Amino acid sequence: MKTLLKWFVPLMVLSLLLAACQPAATPTPEKVIETVTVEKEKEVIKTVEVEKPAERAVVRLSGWAASPEETALLQSLLLDFTVANPDIVVKYEPITGDYWQQLKTSIASGVEPDVFYMDIFQFPAFVRDEVLLPIDDLMANEGIKRDDFIPSLIDAFSADGVTYGIPKDFNTLGLFYNKDMFAQAGIAEPTNDWTWEDLQAAAEALSDPANNVFGLGVPADAGRFPIFVFQNGGDIMTEDYSDTLLDSPEAIEAATFYTDFRKNQIGAIPADVGEGWQGTVFGKGQFAMVYEGGWLIPYLKQQFPNINYGVVTPPAGPKGEGNLIFTVAYVISRNCKNPEAAMRVINYLTSVEAQTKVLESGFALPTRLSLQESEYLKTNPASNAIFRGALEGARPFVWGLVGSDVNDQMSKALERIYLENQPVDEALKQAAEAIRQKIAETQ
Amino acid sequence: MAEMVSNRPAGLFRGGNNPEKRKKRSEALTAYVFLLPYLFIFLTFTVFSIGYAFYLSFTRYNLLRPPEWWGLEGYRRVLCLESLLPRGEDAPPLACDDLFIKKALPNTVKYTLIVVPVQTVLSLILAFAMDQKLRFRRLFRTIYYLPSVTSSVVISLIFVWLFSPLGIVNQIFNLDINWLNDPRYAFYTIMILNVFTTSGTLMLIFLAGLQDIPTAIYEAASIDGANKFQVLRYITIPMLRPVVFFVVTVGLIGCFQVFDQIYVMTSGGPLDSTTTVAYLIYKWAFRDTTVKMGQAAALSFILALIILVFTLIQRRIIEGSGSVGSA
Repeated sequence: MKTLLKWFVPLMVLSLLLAACQPAATPTPEKVIETVTVEKEKEVIKTVEVEKPAERAVVRLSGWAASPEETALLQSLLLDFTVANPDIVVKYEPITGDYWQQLKTSIASGVEPDVFYMDIFQFPAFVRDEVLLPIDDLMANEGIKRDDFIPSLIDAFSADGVTYGIPKDFNTLGLFYNKDMFAQAGIAEPTNDWTWEDLQAAAEALSDPANNVFGLGVPADAGRFPIFVFQNGGDIMTEDYSDTLLDSPEAIEAATFYTDFRKNQIGAIPADVGEGWQGTVFGKGQFAMVYEGGWLIPYLKQQFPNINYGVVTPPAGPKGEGNLIFTVAYVISRNCKNPEAAMRVINYLTSVEAQTKVLESGFALPTRLSLQESEYLKTNPASNAIFRGALEGARPFVWGLVGSDVNDQMSKALERIYLENQPVDEALKQAAEAIRQKIAETQ
Repeated sequence: MAEMVSNRPAGLFRGGNNPEKRKKRSEALTAYVFLLPYLFIFLTFTVFSIGYAFYLSFTRYNLLRPPEWWGLEGYRRVLCLESLLPRGEDAPPLACDDLFIKKALPNTVKYTLIVVPVQTVLSLILAFAMDQKLRFRRLFRTIYYLPSVTSSVVISLIFVWLFSPLGIVNQIFNLDINWLNDPRYAFYTIMILNVFTTSGTLMLIFLAGLQDIPTAIYEAASIDGANKFQVLRYITIPMLRPVVFFVVTVGLIGCFQVFDQIYVMTSGGPLDSTTTVAYLIYKWAFRDTTVKMGQAAALSFILALIILVFTLIQRRIIEGSGSVGSA
């Protein structure tokens, strides 16, 4: 027996060490409990901290793993949380690969995480099918106020007056411009007061089609084009998403303006210069201006550290400002067994301290209104321009239940205009009809 | 195989005192023990999965809510056929998804009709060449086979580079074609890729078939005074018929199910010009915000049926056209 014990102690320690080294997703709670009982029988280690998980509330948290650095930051935040809240165990289970495919299949089999990322684009279906827990009462318990968050963001994750998610971060589009190219062309750099006319004039001055250099990137991308419709006083969908407005005069006018850039060779799509994404083209100095989100900032820093660029809010159209908001929230599953614990985790992860850390690492923009005065934004004008985008006239990137179909049809309409020279009004009417068909399919 | 399995148990429990039979019985038992692990996997991941998918094809299912019985509506919407599968009097107008009828099916058939003959003929020619006593024959064989052992995702990414507007293909041939972003060319680029990757494997199969042909027949032919072309026409090709059947069948099934290259290179675009049936199944099941699992399952069974029909047809053609029909 003694020899057995001799072996057992180091083995136990080793196994605990191993468990500690592994990513949080691997050990299951049952396993932890097992080791504890064995220890008790042998009476080797009397009471250890490890015993506690059996009583602590377990919250499973899941999201996509955007980058190793971002995952590491989240893990360090979770560690801080665990220290402050010893009664809650957060099990972080990042999903690599196709997040929505895995999340939806896990929901189908009833093993979804308690707290998970929810993109605004996917939000409507999850609300309709009652996957998400209404969190208004939980928020009140934790002392979270809706007013603390940027209104356009918290409203995006609400439906019929019920809140379903706490926005975690967001992005908007800004007009990125290459300062050197502007200096070379001898024209003034964009300001926040620019209009469509200024944009067009600058694009003309900056283009050199013979050398594959173009003023503005105008991709057939449903994540860029809609802001022109907004700026022209139109919208993509009606307010209740029951119909599309893609064939309205405002949208057709906006599409004409947008696609004319390429027609007149003062703008181009990334494929014209052999790239898949205009961010790369911008970095290479072949597009002088692109509409992109804050994600372009770290990309440029890493891939094109020498580029000299600035960012302003998108130039206003005939009917004023317009922008898109891409945002992600933490939501709670209806099957969650410890909603209070889950809410406490969310509260910590969206707190001022946590969001300040995320902001300073440069990964994402904070959703709390109070952080708009933060030092980081004051010293980083590029991030600041993207942040301000959410404050004025921006609409969330969501088109109702048939979101992916609307995106498909929108980009196809632009592709038809670009690649098959289809007249703009015809292309948009065709797209609108297809979308109506899809809406009918969901009935 | 199904027959063998169902016949065995009879021998298993009869005539226990006959030593001959007892031996057979213990042999059968051993066989079952060896079969068991695979059988278990096969039943769980194939038989059960197919059965469940069959059930799903009659439901409306978006993963977030439990499946709800839908009858033939899924098949109706895929095929856009109201008349073939009549519905109730008071049913709302059919909301069909014409992507299958208008794009995916024609694309897939076109793809198969082009790729299968090209890759079969090309690999046959390669096999003939590799069967000659060339210098560096082994090196060539390795080179031709190399694409087949490389991951299709990696090759797809390489092709994206080769066929980009400023890529090597345009530079060599002095062209200005946007291969993967122009709906007129994108699908052909993927066809080229597929011929390139599969020809190596098919060449190997043909090569094995060629070397299987007894030399005695060739010798007899040369004694009879047959020239090279006659040998090819009346001996080699007829003797290869079973191999041709195999190669064409495998090619056919592969072509009907083409997915990964499209997923990596074009995601079905531009303008659905590269949307194939398999990609459409994936799109409906996982990519759309309105998950259409039932409809996707229905399309899977339609695809299986199409492959079955095509395989039967080509089996008829290949077996019926000659005297040697042992495939």
